[in-house]
Amino acid sequence: MNTIIYTIIVAAIIAILLGILLGLFKKIFHVDTDPKVQLVRDALSGANCGGCGLAGCDAFAAAVVKGDAPTNGCVAGGSDCAKKVAEILGQAGVEVKPKVAFLACAGTKECAQDKAEYIGMKTCKAAQLTMSGTKKCAFGCIGFGDCVAVCPFGALSMGDDGLPKVNKSKCLACGKCAAACPKHLFKFIDADTKGAIALCSNKSDNKPQIRKDCSKGCFKCGMCARKCPEQAIDVSSGLPVIDYTKCTSCGTCVSACVDKVLVIL
Amino acid sequence: METIKLFIKSALIDNVVFIQYLAICPFIGMTNDTEKATGMGLATTFVIMLATAVTWPLYKLVMVPLGLEFLQTLFFILVIASLVQLVEFFLKKMSPGLYNAMGVYLALITTNCAVLGITINCISKNYNYVQSLVYAFGSAMGFLISMVIMSGVRSRVKTANVPKAFAGTPILYICASLLSLAFLGFKGLIK
Repeated sequence: MNTIIYTIIVAAIIAILLGILLGLFKKIFHVDTDPKVQLVRDALSGANCGGCGLAGCDAFAAAVVKGDAPTNGCVAGGSDCAKKVAEILGQAGVEVKPKVAFLACAGTKECAQDKAEYIGMKTCKAAQLTMSGTKKCAFGCIGFGDCVAVCPFGALSMGDDGLPKVNKSKCLACGKCAAACPKHLFKFIDADTKGAIALCSNKSDNKPQIRKDCSKGCFKCGMCARKCPEQAIDVSSGLPVIDYTKCTSCGTCVSACVDKVLVIL
Repeated sequence: METIKLFIKSALIDNVVFIQYLAICPFIGMTNDTEKATGMGLATTFVIMLATAVTWPLYKLVMVPLGLEFLQTLFFILVIASLVQLVEFFLKKMSPGLYNAMGVYLALITTNCAVLGITINCISKNYNYVQSLVYAFGSAMGFLISMVIMSGVRSRVKTANVPKAFAGTPILYICASLLSLAFLGFKGLIK
């Protein structure tokens, strides 16, 4: 009989003690959380894509409320989301220009040659680690689709030519593919960009080698810049960089390009 | 000397994960990358030490005199779960950085069988207070070691060509069993 009474008393004392302690700790160490954070968090897309450059939607919401991140920082949410976030914070909304990813490489299976037969793990990362890519061109797309696997929105698919294809209507430019690509081939442009663009990332100056490696490699001749009537192309870094405020999509550079590196979007 | 022996024995010879098969859930679940595994290991170390420091006196000074030894499991769980909560509140306020690094794991540790296992072991092996704390620290270090080793193994498994039938969790159990065999080699370390 004593045991039962002791059990009840001891259990009750321990439970009450711990209960009081917990209550006290909660009071003493209470942390005020801003209710705005939760509101902002709910307005976001919730994909946790990391396109804002922060750890995820929760981190972004906290940063926005603190003022460390811009209200239009959520790329996946787009304009609607930016508007909602700005409303919550009582700021004037800033328009978000939707961006899309594009692959700066045209080295399909036919154009770019393989160095050797690769029979290892079928991921770009592994191929990059073991033999710095499967293709002769050290800058070219490896084509095992690490980007396709990592895309949270299903915007990428592997084409028959061995290069990933971007579905512009699905792409939200979160940047996961760019981070996954060991060759850093993904660039981001405004979705409504009109003009010429260079589909090559070969930064090498060894011109004969470029030709040998890939029939679509930029030869660094600079013809596009010289022929452009608007002087919209800058080749000082080697590869052509197009200034879209000047480009009129006339197509002169595309026809001037010997290697057909440039295309009109 | 005895203290050092006890530490080595608890950390390596009687490793919590590899020899006693406790705390397999965080061992498999949290070893995705070394940083997380270390965080979990350190957080668990902290909780194990705290739990042992509180449960030993509770048992010896309250439960034994009153003849309530049979309620060991129940009381220990009650105390451990509350302790973890208290620590969580404390960390949230005093060190948000540490809380963010450890916060997710803290709640998981409440249900970590290593914590309960070690506190009960201290009692059943009849250790005194100092021995209990040394034993708890040694075991916790053993857990930390096993977490870090496993996270290293996993980073290699990730890029290995695993047969389809073994891909995912099965290969991890195979790795764990091989590691366990390796740890059996420590058996003769202390006479």
